[in-house]
Amino acid sequence: MSKKGFDLFDLVKKVLFTDFVKGLTVTLGYNISKSITMRYPDEEKWVPYRRFRGMHTLNRDENGRELCVACELCAKACPTGCITVIPMEDNTGRGISDRVAQVWTVNVVRCLFCGYCEDACPTRALRLGREFELACTDFSCTLKSREELLVPQPIPESIPGGYVVKSKFERTPQGIKVVPELSKYKKRSI
Amino acid sequence: MPDIATLLAVLLIVVKVGVVTMILFGLPLPLTWLERKVAGHIQVRLGPWRVGPHGLLQPFADMIKLLFKEDIVPYKADKLLFNLAPLLSMVPAFAVFVAIPFGDSVMVPFINKEVTLYISDMNVGILYILAIGGLSIYGIILGGWASNSKYALLGGLRSAAQMISYEVAMSFAAVGVVMMSNSLSLLEMVKSQSGSFLNWNIFYLPVGPVWFAIFLIAGLAEINRIPFDLTEDEGTLAAGFHTEYSGMKFAFFMLAEYVAMVTISVLSVVMFFGGWNAPLQVPVPIPPIFWFVAKAGALIYFFMWIRFTLPRYRYDQLMTIGWKILIPVALVNLLVTGFMRI
Repeated sequence: MSKKGFDLFDLVKKVLFTDFVKGLTVTLGYNISKSITMRYPDEEKWVPYRRFRGMHTLNRDENGRELCVACELCAKACPTGCITVIPMEDNTGRGISDRVAQVWTVNVVRCLFCGYCEDACPTRALRLGREFELACTDFSCTLKSREELLVPQPIPESIPGGYVVKSKFERTPQGIKVVPELSKYKKRSI
Repeated sequence: MPDIATLLAVLLIVVKVGVVTMILFGLPLPLTWLERKVAGHIQVRLGPWRVGPHGLLQPFADMIKLLFKEDIVPYKADKLLFNLAPLLSMVPAFAVFVAIPFGDSVMVPFINKEVTLYISDMNVGILYILAIGGLSIYGIILGGWASNSKYALLGGLRSAAQMISYEVAMSFAAVGVVMMSNSLSLLEMVKSQSGSFLNWNIFYLPVGPVWFAIFLIAGLAEINRIPFDLTEDEGTLAAGFHTEYSGMKFAFFMLAEYVAMVTISVLSVVMFFGGWNAPLQVPVPIPPIFWFVAKAGALIYFFMWIRFTLPRYRYDQLMTIGWKILIPVALVNLLVTGFMRI
């Protein structure tokens, strides 16, 4: 009991269930408000912003030549040492210079997606893209090689991101995939 | 040799009992879905969504899961009581509905016969409901006792204490309604509230709303719902009296709980909200059963709404509300009602 003694206002509040009604209005407001659940993966998918640091991607220039010059700066900048680069000489026009990577692998389970490698890259060949569905059931996806990384990612650089798009859930023998429909998007705060 | 008319009457009663039982067995399915949906939306989630459109088939999935779950009887549990307890808690919850009137009488189109929408019109209906409804607590206490588990036993004991405290206040509320309606029969109670909504017992000022508040609080405590669900207090008692139950026995307890919730809503409708009477005279013919179901549904939603609004009371607070507030208020209210009815 309160030390002030008898409080008429308090009693009236209790008799009229004021606080109870206040609580009920709050919950009713939430009940009729829109849900914030994202129906990932089979109905909606979040398209990250450009600054998002996801799966590595190796770029080509407009003539289709590899931008990577195998300078190994990314491997040196990497705090976990997960990038392996073995350079080789090639003047057939595969890369922009006659030094290209024979091997360029990243160990994805080691990688902490800090983005130092893309900062270190002098030719902007290496970017951390917007792929974030990296899970797999065996070790096949833990080591990504140059050939895989040279394939352009499904979300192109031109899309600013930061919104929810419609998506489809596809089951293939290779595994399951979430396919976004980039044309149908809606802005939504997350 | 009984004549045809008697046989038909008996057959009619059997059919009615069967229909009501089937409805009651089926009701928890939409109610669990609704409860999870309300929970989801109050917490700005979606609730069930995957199984069927808007998760409508979720209860069936849950039912299949419960049917196939292993039926575990704990080591050193009292086997007989352990198996009996779910039934003891379920049967009274169903038996209550014998006395509840869902409507006056309707013409059944094919057999051209007037059929009353209640199984029996007892002249002591409210007494019967309170007595039988009180029995279901045995299931909970015995279930807690027989499980050979600390949590379950504590849940059962709390339930017993809660029952003793709140049954008194609830009976007082029933007495109040009986005084306002001048009858113990639920049918007469509804008939006395006919006309506009101003004739409803809840608008019998100034005592009606107070009786309703007492009945609602005591009813919530009777059916062990938040904020009075100390018997299955997850925070301190794991799952309370049904900690050790699994599979269909657990489902029976849940069934009993949901049916009890329906009972309290239906009783509130009959006692305070004019049963199947329309709130206003409307020009379009709306069947009375619609009003009954709509009012009961609104109350069920209200119970769910409360569940996700209020926190759980502490045990001593529960006792304080029961003995120090509800019962004195009920006594004073009884006096006022008595003076008003002279």
